[in-house]
Amino acid sequence: MRLSRSRTLNSLVVLVFICVVWELVVDLLSIPQYILPTPTSIASTTIKYYDYLLRNLLDTSIHALVGLALAATFSLAISLPLAYSEVVRDTVYPLITGFNAIPRAALVPLLALWFGLGSMPKILTAFLIAFFPVLVPTLTAMVTIEKELWELLMSFGATKTQILIKVGIPRAMPYFLSSLHMGLTSSFVGTVIAEMVASDSGLGYVILSSTSRLDTALAFSCLILLALITFVLSKVLSVVERRVVGWAYRVST
Amino acid sequence: MEPLVRLHGITVRYDGRRNGGLVAITDVDLDIYQGEVVGIVGKSGSGKTTLLKVLAGLIRPVKGEVVFNNHKLNGNSFRVGVLFQSPLLLPWRTVIKNILLPIEVLGEDVSKYLSRALELIEKVGLKGFENSYPWELSGGMQQRVALCRALIHRPSLLLLDEPFSSLDAITREEMWMLLQDVISHEGCTTVLVTHDVREAVLLCDRVVVIGGKPGRVRAEVRVDFKRPRDLKLQYTKEFNDYVVMVRGLLGD
Repeated sequence: MRLSRSRTLNSLVVLVFICVVWELVVDLLSIPQYILPTPTSIASTTIKYYDYLLRNLLDTSIHALVGLALAATFSLAISLPLAYSEVVRDTVYPLITGFNAIPRAALVPLLALWFGLGSMPKILTAFLIAFFPVLVPTLTAMVTIEKELWELLMSFGATKTQILIKVGIPRAMPYFLSSLHMGLTSSFVGTVIAEMVASDSGLGYVILSSTSRLDTALAFSCLILLALITFVLSKVLSVVERRVVGWAYRVST
Repeated sequence: MEPLVRLHGITVRYDGRRNGGLVAITDVDLDIYQGEVVGIVGKSGSGKTTLLKVLAGLIRPVKGEVVFNNHKLNGNSFRVGVLFQSPLLLPWRTVIKNILLPIEVLGEDVSKYLSRALELIEKVGLKGFENSYPWELSGGMQQRVALCRALIHRPSLLLLDEPFSSLDAITREEMWMLLQDVISHEGCTTVLVTHDVREAVLLCDRVVVIGGKPGRVRAEVRVDFKRPRDLKLQYTKEFNDYVVMVRGLLGD
């Protein structure tokens, strides 16, 4: 515990050092603020637009998280039939992989056309980008049960469904939860892209409109807030992981 | 006396893509009597595990029949408990929940088996570890948990497939004595598949030697030591005579 605290302190020192160098470089080379704002001007901008930024941060986060929740639910729901039947897997999985090859950002104009501006394109883009990285490890864990374990369960009469419920699902849980970290960043990327293309709210929209006004410091505030929120949510997820699937990390309770 | 299980003319062929049409065992006849401990020894690839899987109902023979208590069987319809080389415990379940897994799968009332589970845990010397997780236990302890799980549902036949070959020599000897103790306490009919001739002679009433390609029963040796047997028996001349004889029957 003490060790991890001192490491956190180290990271903070490095961060402060980077900011000081950044500030000095911009000052000494007289780089215009609209090209690269200094950390101090980013900080003062953040404080000045505090309410506005917070409102848009909340807007982005809610849409990204709803998208992630949909992606998680959908991935779990379809991994079950895919794990159960090889026929279903061989039929459906290549289609899903093929769909994954489409750059999802390119779908945003279509989503805006179908659903209008606002929440739907944001949630759907987050969902479409996040579900694949959640599905793959979850499904893989379900279909890679050792042959001997399978035989052991069959020897006392277990059916395929029982093996999936008693072994497949619990076995997949650590992979599912850790894939949510990946899904989390993906869903924020999705929402921000949709906000840039087809929305008039959220941090993606703020970034787009502030750079067009050459208010670069505000765009940087948005980037930092986005990084912070995904970092914090990822930490929350880690706590949940340790609680729910502590066995996978050999945490004695 | 009628045998508990009779294998008659069993032939198994694997028709996987990898080993297309490989005949693993052919024309195997084997009678297993109530309360007996039968050893099946053979070199690797001799089909001894295949034979065990036929008994477990995991493989259906292409020819021959399995008769249980005078009833001809189609697939698995008597209770077996299986113990493999690896304990195969589920890491998200505690010791007691791992042991009760067969009961859950069989759809029986788990609470009715709780005291039996605790009794088995005590019998194998794991009292106090009921709520531990498998990864908190040593390899030998994990295998003891797996033994309890193999017995919890009172199987008609206990099937052991090289159960101790991944343990160190001292732990293995401990497990031999423990197994002998548990088997006599439970009174269960047991089939032990092993390539360790000493293990087979020490633990079994009868040793069946399997060999050839495809595997056939080469010989049967009755081991006339009274049970329970002591580890010191290994150092007697009579014991070594059995070992030499069985080893000879295995071939080069």
